Amino acid sequence: MSWRTLRPVIAFVLLVVLHYTLRPVLGWRTSIDFLVIALLIASVRMRPGLAALLGFAMGLVADSLSVGAFGSAALAMSVVGFTASWLRAIVFAENLALHAAFFFAGKWLFDIVFLIIERRLKGFELITQLFIWSPITAMVTALAGILVLILMRPMLETQSA
Amino acid sequence: MARVTQLDSRLDTALFATCVFLAIVAHGLPAHMRDPIAGTMRRTLLAPLVGLQRNAELSRAAWLAHESNTRVRDSLALQAMRVVSLEGENASLRRLLGLGHELRWGFIPAEALHSGAVGDEYTLTLSAGTRSGVRPFSPVVAPGGLVGMVQTADPRMSIAIMWTHPDFRVSAMATDKTAFGIVQAHQGSDADRYLLELRGVPVRSDVKKGTLIVSSGLGGVFPKGIPIGTVIDTLKSDGYARKYLLRPAVLPPDVLSVMILQPQRAAGGVEPVWAGTIAQADSIARAAAALDSVTASRARAANAPAPAAPTTATTVAASPPLTAADSAAARAANPDSVAAVAAARAARRARRDSLRADSVRRAARADSVRRATADTARPRADSAVPLPVPPPSTPTTPPLDR
Repeated sequence: MSWRTLRPVIAFVLLVVLHYTLRPVLGWRTSIDFLVIALLIASVRMRPGLAALLGFAMGLVADSLSVGAFGSAALAMSVVGFTASWLRAIVFAENLALHAAFFFAGKWLFDIVFLIIERRLKGFELITQLFIWSPITAMVTALAGILVLILMRPMLETQSA
Repeated sequence: MARVTQLDSRLDTALFATCVFLAIVAHGLPAHMRDPIAGTMRRTLLAPLVGLQRNAELSRAAWLAHESNTRVRDSLALQAMRVVSLEGENASLRRLLGLGHELRWGFIPAEALHSGAVGDEYTLTLSAGTRSGVRPFSPVVAPGGLVGMVQTADPRMSIAIMWTHPDFRVSAMATDKTAFGIVQAHQGSDADRYLLELRGVPVRSDVKKGTLIVSSGLGGVFPKGIPIGTVIDTLKSDGYARKYLLRPAVLPPDVLSVMILQPQRAAGGVEPVWAGTIAQADSIARAAAALDSVTASRARAANAPAPAAPTTATTVAASPPLTAADSAAARAANPDSVAAVAAARAARRARRDSLRADSVRRAARADSVRRATADTARPRADSAVPLPVPPPSTPTTPPLDR
């Protein structure tokens, strides 16, 4: 594996590690989802099928480490990975606003699928979560994604160019 | 080429469908099947991530605990500060209760509010007025002594001037009634700001440091026997009168609650109220005077040249009256005063030690004189004429000046 291929992998691993170290330390209600950021960044660099497979694996990891319903995150991540890979043309555009919209949509889509499949929240609570808290969380994740893209540009630009 | 692309596309769709299918299957697994799977993954593949997550959560918990501890410590510090002020207030109120108990009747308790405005720092606003019986020129006292005088009385509140006011005057005297004068504020600044002056004391009346000055009752406003202050220094005299600097019995910033004496109570006299304070101050002053005299005599004994041997007996004989006088002075101050008795004992012991040292020194000097005399009296080989010998009993040093 060449250094060019290795650098995005390192960035991906770094984001996964951040998800399990920085996120618990911050402890925000609208926390940053580094897993979704990692999945979106990785998905645009691979085929949709592989992206779905990666999403499924990451979802299983997330399901195993949380108390939520097993399989929900796997399904949501598979959908997000597959969709992101199909929409790779957007991400290749060097526009921060488009990147932010991409991260926002990816996180929100993940939350929608996850919450519907999980079936833990119902009625008003589900609507509040889907249309108030999820967009806010998606916004925070989008901002964090932009920050990650800026900070990790040296590691990511070669592949995207 | 198109076929390859189509094949890849189908493969992607198949993979996606498989993933979705597997996820739905995983979601549909019963708890007794999915929990072992999740547990096995946590223990094997995900063990590093689990460790990272646990450490991060522990760090956050420690940080939160630290913040919580800091908050608790801060609030405790605040409460401790409040406790100190409450204790001070409690003690002040207890003293005020004691004063009320001593006064028994004819007084009005009031809260004292300091305005703190520039040019208005000499007055107090009192929370009692004419409806409570306050009249202008009523004396205002605190447990420590004199505070001031009511100047204006409204129905619900009154204004009093404190002794710091430039126009404030009170007729005063020493507790032993040996000196009379007028007390007024000492117009100093900074450290001297809260001091008093005792003026108009006749030159023949010498007031010792530490003497308590009380109101004499001659002015007609303040009854006799309210502590005003303690003499701490002598100021430059003007003409035939002496001036003394006093440390006040009551410091204005400490005044939070006061008693206003009604006219009939002031006329009735308040001497017994502060009798204990006066007696205590007297005994302390006498003990201090006794210690001063002992220190002075020790200094004289140390500086003066030692007399010859025969004078030792004279010195010893002369010393008991002084010691007895000191002791008697200290005892006369207050027979019950432990401080006075201890001071007199210390004085006696110090004097005895001093005399013993003097005796030893003088005996040694007499011996040396005797030896010198014997040496000079011995006939020298080169001279046949004997030298004159001074009498051994002649004192070589003058007697102590007592």
